[in-house]
Parts: sequence; structure tokens; C-alpha cells
Amino acid sequence: MLPLNMAILDVFTDGSVNSRADVQEKLRANYGNFKAFKDASMDDALQTAMSNGLIAEDHYEVESDGYVKIWYKSDKDMIDVINSYIR
Amino acid sequence: MSNNAATNAVAAKEARDKSYRKKGIMIALLSGFLYGGYTAFMTQGMATGVWGDLYGGTGIAAGMSAFAAVYTLSALGAAVNDLCSGVWSIIYGAIIGRIGDVGRTLKTKPGRILIVAAIIGGPLASTAYVIGLQMAGSIIVPIAALNACIGAIIGRFLYGQKLSVGMVAGILICLAAAILIGSSSMTGAEINGEAILGMVAAFGAALGWGIEGAVGGYACCIADYECAIIIRQVTSGLVNGVVLVSILSVMGGDGIGNGFKWLGAALTDTPSLWMFFVAGMFASFSFKFWYKGAAMCGAALGMGCNGTYAFWGPFWCFIVIGLGFGVDGYAIPWQGWVGAAVMVGGILLLAISQDKASREA
Repeated sequence: MLPLNMAILDVFTDGSVNSRADVQEKLRANYGNFKAFKDASMDDALQTAMSNGLIAEDHYEVESDGYVKIWYKSDKDMIDVINSYIR
Repeated sequence: MSNNAATNAVAAKEARDKSYRKKGIMIALLSGFLYGGYTAFMTQGMATGVWGDLYGGTGIAAGMSAFAAVYTLSALGAAVNDLCSGVWSIIYGAIIGRIGDVGRTLKTKPGRILIVAAIIGGPLASTAYVIGLQMAGSIIVPIAALNACIGAIIGRFLYGQKLSVGMVAGILICLAAAILIGSSSMTGAEINGEAILGMVAAFGAALGWGIEGAVGGYACCIADYECAIIIRQVTSGLVNGVVLVSILSVMGGDGIGNGFKWLGAALTDTPSLWMFFVAGMFASFSFKFWYKGAAMCGAALGMGCNGTYAFWGPFWCFIVIGLGFGVDGYAIPWQGWVGAAVMVGGILLLAISQDKASREA
């Protein structure tokens, strides 16, 4: 089992497009009880990964409550970098 | 989506990105501020209780070599601080539910990178810094302050992070400010072979801290920084306490037994230990924010903001040791205040230049 932050990145290594909620859904079975599984921590981890070029923004929309929902994805180079660290 | 709705969405997204950048800069600045608290409490801890015997060569330290009084005791102080910090980090990590992930992180490549970064930036760089100070005097302080420049260069070439002309100028202004702050305590050193070796050692320290900041920071975009700090402080504490103190005790002719005797005495000395524990708490937050700031802002801006420790160190020493414990000699000279103002300008330039470089990318 990978640490949570690496499991988050692992979600993107199949080339899929995911929002934070999508990532949480895919990881809920193994990581749902983690304290760092909260929305804010997950958003923070995704944004830090994006600012370091491991994932990129695909598209976004603003929800009725003002929350900016972002979908991310990784291209082949990014997937190679992620895999070089977590495999 | 109407034009109005699209404009609002773009504004909301920009506000979110700006908020993230502000948070990163605040965390990086906080790392420098808290480093001052760590410096002050560790300095006072090393002047209290059993440390009086250790530095005075009396009691358990009777017969201590001159070498040990300089080098082994420095490593001992760092070991006690980092071990206290490691214990605090584990307690805090348990409270916020990270202990399981620490074990899992240790089995991964980023975990191994964090261990190596901790050894390079902890025991190795700190010892190189002390050696530099001893051989060349405080003239080496600005050389060691080059660590932010080195971190920025490593971040640029190893991880492709942005480094524009404006950012380089910002780093150089911060470096000049650090030199100005350090200049008030500089002693004139005769430039001879030994002094040059001391400067080389100081550059080694800058290199070690630069590597740790850039590499450790990048590792924290893959690993959780709350796990990273536990790995960092426990590694540094154990390597300092077990390996480095042993090596230095042998080199000084004091024997490994004495090294461990002094370590045991320092770790059970209540009057100084609480100060080391407070210093360790500051160190834990300072170092994890250093990593986190570099992960959020990039090594250049993150380490530039962290460089404010050059001001916050003397500032905290003045507040805690000077005012709190009533020890003379900790007032901040004018160079400290002017240097702090110059540093704010350098960080502003660094942040604005990085923002501009990001938008142009």
C-alpha cells in the first residue's frame, strides 16, 4: 500500500482525468479513514503536485457555492516522472 | 455559459491560484521566523545546566580535549535538539494521524531521498559550518548564506523550476541583506591556508543546505511533508548522536565512551532539556515549513523566504536570551534592521518576478 500522497499521484498514471472528488472516490476504500483524506488536504496535495509539474489542469468549473472544481490529468512525461518515484 | 459567468469563473479560479501562492509564501516566511525561535532556545539550552560543565571542562567533562570542546559539543547540541525535535514530530504526527504513512514512505524512493537529504543538510552541512567558523571565523557567514542561491540553481536544473533574471536579482538582494546582517558580528580573519579551507567548508555547508532545501522540497510534492519532517528529524538526530558524536569523540582522542556519556548527561539534564524540547518544537515546524514552502513556491522563492532566518535568528535571541533570560550582548545593531528591510525588498522582487515568469510560461 502506498502512502496517501503517492496514491493520489498513482491515480493519474493511467492517463485519466480526475477532480479531487474523483480521486477520493477511487481511494476511499483504502484511505477513507485517513485524517489527511479531508477535502482541504487533498486539494492542497493536488495543487502542490500541479505546481511541480506532476499533474496539469484539464478544465474547471465554479460550483454554486463558489468552490472552484478542477479536473487534472498527467501527460506521458508526467506519468514517467511519477512512476520513477512511486514504483 | 454566458460571458458574465465565464468572467466570474476565471476570476474565481485566479483568486484560488492567488490564495495558494499567498499560502505558500506565508508558509515559507514562517519557516524563517520559527528558525529564529529554534536558534534562541537551542543557544540558551547549550548555556544551561550540564552544558556549563561540558563547556567548562569540569565535572563529567573533566579532561575533555580542546577538539571536543569545539566540534563534539556542537554535534552533541545538534543531536540533542534533533532528537527532541524528532520525539515532538512523532507525537505531533501521531495526533494528526500520520505515523502509518511514515512507515510506508520509508519504503519508497522519496523516503530514501528524504533520509539522504536529512544527512546531507543535517549532520554533514552543520559540521561543515562549525568547521568553517573555527577555521576562518564569522567571515564565512555570507558564504553559508549562499544556500538559497544554490537551492534555486538545483531546482532549475534538476526539476526545471522557473528562474528568471528578476528572481536571480531578488535572491542576490536577499544574499546582500544576509551579509549585511551578519557583518555586525564579523571578525577580521587573516586569509591564509587554514582560512581558505574554512571558506571551502562553509561553501560545503551552503551546498548541503541548498541540496536539502531543493531536493527535500521537491520530495514533498510527492510525499507528505508531515511524514517528511519525522523522517528528517529522527534521521538527523540519530546520525548526529550515534555516528557523528562517536566519530568526533574518537578524532578528538576522548573515546566513544565519553561521547555517549556526554550525550546521556545532556539528554537527562532537566534544566536544559526543556529548552531543547522547545527548540525542537520550533525546529520541527521550521524545517517542515521550509520543505513545504519550497514544494509550494519552488526552491528559489521558498528558500529566499526562508532566508529571513538571518534576521529572525538574532531577533529571537534578543527577545528570548536578552530580554527573557537577561543576558547582555544580544541587542540588534542597525545592520540587522536595515538588512531586514532590504530582505523584504528582495523577497518582494523574487515573488513578483516568479509570478510574472509563471504567467509568461
